Amino acid sequence: MTVTQVRTEPTSRGEQVGAAQSAAPTPRRRPSHRARSALVAWAFVAPVVVYLALFYAFPLIRNIELSVRDYTVRSFIDGTAPFVGIDNYLAVFRDATFGPALLNTAAFTVLSIVFQFAIGLALAVFFFRRFPLSATLRALFLVPWLLPLLVSASTWSWMLNSESGVVNAFLEAVGAGQINWLTSPQFSLISVLIANIWIGVPFNLVILYSGLQSIPEEVYEAASLDGANGWQKFWRITFPLLRPVAAITLLLGLVYTLKVFDIIWIMTRGGPAESSTTFAIWSYRLGFGSTLPDFSPAAAVGNLLIVLAFVFGLLYIRMQRRLDPS
Amino acid sequence: MNISTRARLAGVLALGVVATGSLSACSTPSDGESANSEYTFWDPYPQYDETSEWAKVIDACAEEAGVTISRTAFDTSDLTSKALLAGQQGNSPDILLIDNPVISTLAEAGLLTTAEENGLDVSEIEENLISAGQTDGDTFGVPIGANTLALYYNPEVLEAAGVDIAEVTDWESLTAALEKVVAAGKSGITFSGIGTEEGSFQFLPWYWGSGAELTDLASEEALSALTLWTDWVNKGLAPNSVIGNTQTTSWEEFLTGEFAFAENGTWQKASAAEQGFEVIPIPAADGGAAPAPTGGEFLSIPVQSDDARYEASAQIISCLTSTDNLVETDNSLNYIAPTAAAQQEQLDADPTLAPWVDAVGSAQGRTGDDLGTDYPIISEQLWTAVQNALTGAQSPADALADAQTQAEEGLE
Amino acid sequence: MTSRRPWWNTLLGVVLTAIMLFPVYWMVNVSLTKSTDMRRNPPFLFPVDPTFEGYTKVLTQQLPYLGTSLIIGLGTVVLTVALAAPAAFALAKLRPIGGGALSFVLLIAQMIPGIIMAMGFYAIYLNLGILDTIPGLIVADSTLAVPFAVLIFTAFMSGIPNELISAAKIDGAGAWRTFRSVVMPISRNSVVTVSLFTFLWAWSDFIFASTLDSGGDLQPITMGIYRYIGNNNQEWNAIMATAVVASIPAAVLLVVAQRYVAAGVTAGAVKD
Repeated sequence: MTVTQVRTEPTSRGEQVGAAQSAAPTPRRRPSHRARSALVAWAFVAPVVVYLALFYAFPLIRNIELSVRDYTVRSFIDGTAPFVGIDNYLAVFRDATFGPALLNTAAFTVLSIVFQFAIGLALAVFFFRRFPLSATLRALFLVPWLLPLLVSASTWSWMLNSESGVVNAFLEAVGAGQINWLTSPQFSLISVLIANIWIGVPFNLVILYSGLQSIPEEVYEAASLDGANGWQKFWRITFPLLRPVAAITLLLGLVYTLKVFDIIWIMTRGGPAESSTTFAIWSYRLGFGSTLPDFSPAAAVGNLLIVLAFVFGLLYIRMQRRLDPS
Repeated sequence: MNISTRARLAGVLALGVVATGSLSACSTPSDGESANSEYTFWDPYPQYDETSEWAKVIDACAEEAGVTISRTAFDTSDLTSKALLAGQQGNSPDILLIDNPVISTLAEAGLLTTAEENGLDVSEIEENLISAGQTDGDTFGVPIGANTLALYYNPEVLEAAGVDIAEVTDWESLTAALEKVVAAGKSGITFSGIGTEEGSFQFLPWYWGSGAELTDLASEEALSALTLWTDWVNKGLAPNSVIGNTQTTSWEEFLTGEFAFAENGTWQKASAAEQGFEVIPIPAADGGAAPAPTGGEFLSIPVQSDDARYEASAQIISCLTSTDNLVETDNSLNYIAPTAAAQQEQLDADPTLAPWVDAVGSAQGRTGDDLGTDYPIISEQLWTAVQNALTGAQSPADALADAQTQAEEGLE
Repeated sequence: MTSRRPWWNTLLGVVLTAIMLFPVYWMVNVSLTKSTDMRRNPPFLFPVDPTFEGYTKVLTQQLPYLGTSLIIGLGTVVLTVALAAPAAFALAKLRPIGGGALSFVLLIAQMIPGIIMAMGFYAIYLNLGILDTIPGLIVADSTLAVPFAVLIFTAFMSGIPNELISAAKIDGAGAWRTFRSVVMPISRNSVVTVSLFTFLWAWSDFIFASTLDSGGDLQPITMGIYRYIGNNNQEWNAIMATAVVASIPAAVLLVVAQRYVAAGVTAGAVKD
């Protein structure tokens, strides 16, 4: 295995330079084999397709089915819920929580992604300098991911507690007043945002770092010979070559951020006064927040999130097509 | 093996896709074959492993009934959804021990058998305690033990502030005591006002103590209770953290020794004794003890396809709720027993339990008064109103008026 | 880029890591705090007068579960990479008809709430009789990672030059051999990235473990936390101690893995 690597790597690097510079798509030359190669391609994909069908189809259909019927706890058990079409969705749209939840979801998602990505990219570029200990420190950045969210979110609410939290102790020590991070409507969304950005940074760091690693060094060397400075190298080389990885990182970040509920639920329960209620929290609260679950509206809110992800997925694919016209 | 597994998976999936709505019809082949004398038992006590007294008591009772028990412990908040899910799949446990407000939900779902169907004798249980398990005259379970809320106080803090606990008899004198304590440089009272059922549970003694009823959230009395809490927070008599406190967090605050009072439950009595804290009933608005809500778990027998199984289940439950076993279990849970005989035995062994036995005696069930599954809907509005008022997002009056409107809409 | 004074970078790196890990430090601090000091105002910055009560409990009760977690984590990694890498290769290089739609479905699949996924698995597993088993939990945990893995692999593999694939083809290699001996070795970086996250997700999973393995004899370490969450009361120092104990072996694994990767990359660079 190691032998193969050593042999292929130099080739790949040399080839990648060529590909990056000319970006010339390889001419296709196999109309006669088309049927066979399509079959081969599908053979590679087939296990995942079967896997998706087995494990995702049922929950997805189930979620849709829950949202178009009127389930009570009783009909959840005996399966006799009447079909109500889009009534649950209309009720969700009309609900007083809809407006605030939409705004909170948008603010939470956009700000989370912007900060996670920017910080993650900055750190990836920084760690890419490869100084002593860089690999170890970079590995340590992943430690927050080893903790169950229950623990990390609880630790954050511990630190942000109004009276006994270390953050307020620090603020008071430097002369600033007490901030009710989790218990005032003005700050609760900011607090959960901070915690969520903290959790998301390692993800962005690691993926973008691997992206940087796959940019061949020869490209930089060539640019240096042309007299490019650090910024120019970043904007003209690093950024464009990082684009496919950056795009998927952003897209995944979006999907994961839309879904976030544990952190918010543990820290604020979406409160106070709905000030940190996102769609994911709203859905969870309807379904599991009280001792009487309300599955149908919960599923409807959940499906709105799926639709949102759907829209962004379409945008991503369009963007990908435009960048890669082959 | 592999192929047959796959085929079965595909079959299950096809079934799921074609008949998503009627999955409940699937019975469990694996269960029906093996589980003739093995009985399943679910409880929310993950703190007790298989070597604990609790597990041994269950095993002993099962042996007496001539069966074996397979016990699974869940986190209490997971147990509700797990019970619904298992019920939907026809895989309910034989015996389910679950938090009392959930009983009405599961009964409404048709998952639980009544005492009449399963033959449980419930006559020994104190009436106010069993009410949480009753709807429309049917009894769906028996309490394994009861707990309720009371007002713990720290004698050292009170003494230093010059407060005599005997003078704390109603809301006015309590507030005056809090002011004295805060003036002396300590903190007043801590409680849990979190936006979950826990918050409603903690607010109810004040709510009921004002004379308010759960059927009218916007009453004058309700307003006086919410104003009491809101004023405490606004005046610094209670910390701002109460808005997000769970009962555990609130107790940890009290354990620092900085607070004069803490509203908390029976289950902390051992910890309180260790620290030298003492307890009084929560005062009602105009004096006397306020009715506090009952807490604790109920043993219930979920519906099975084979109703011959109820007999052994009922036998196990009556064994678990026999006086000796109740006393032992409730002592280790820090609960008060639900029957007069067992309470007496607890008292004989430890006379300091007297205030708790009294408190449990005057407590009332949240889902009682035939509120049943109306309670969760009302409760959600109640804790929302508490949150909105405590944070200043709304005035107490507006918060309660909105809550009443929402509750009425939800109950339609 | 590497010519700057390295000690300065190391210092900055240490400071940044310290800031990032402060919450983790705080968790350790809480795990050593007595319950009477937990909500002290202001809090102790260091475990003054520490208690080891939490750790005593965890070390006597939880250690066997670490092994289960490790098996589940590694099993999930193997399953995920085995499923995702070939599919991603096909999506990136072989361009099957409907490939775009598949990427799309993968994206949407991740939006299904975990609890709904868990409910679906419960129904399937119950009927198959594989509730409370380790293989069952591995398959369920892999659903956290497979869509992610396919998408990430695709993004990285689309950067592999087509000439390389064509060259392999001209040498007479079939698609499978091209994939195994050309594509996979080059993709080591992304394999490591995917494996890391898959492992982390499986390691810290709660929802599948509690729905699908709550009655099993072999439970992952995260479920051990439940032992300290009573229905009325939580023992925070023991909960935090469980998290600390659970993360130490995995953290060591992470650091070692990263060192190995870094070493591999440097070796490759030297060969240039």
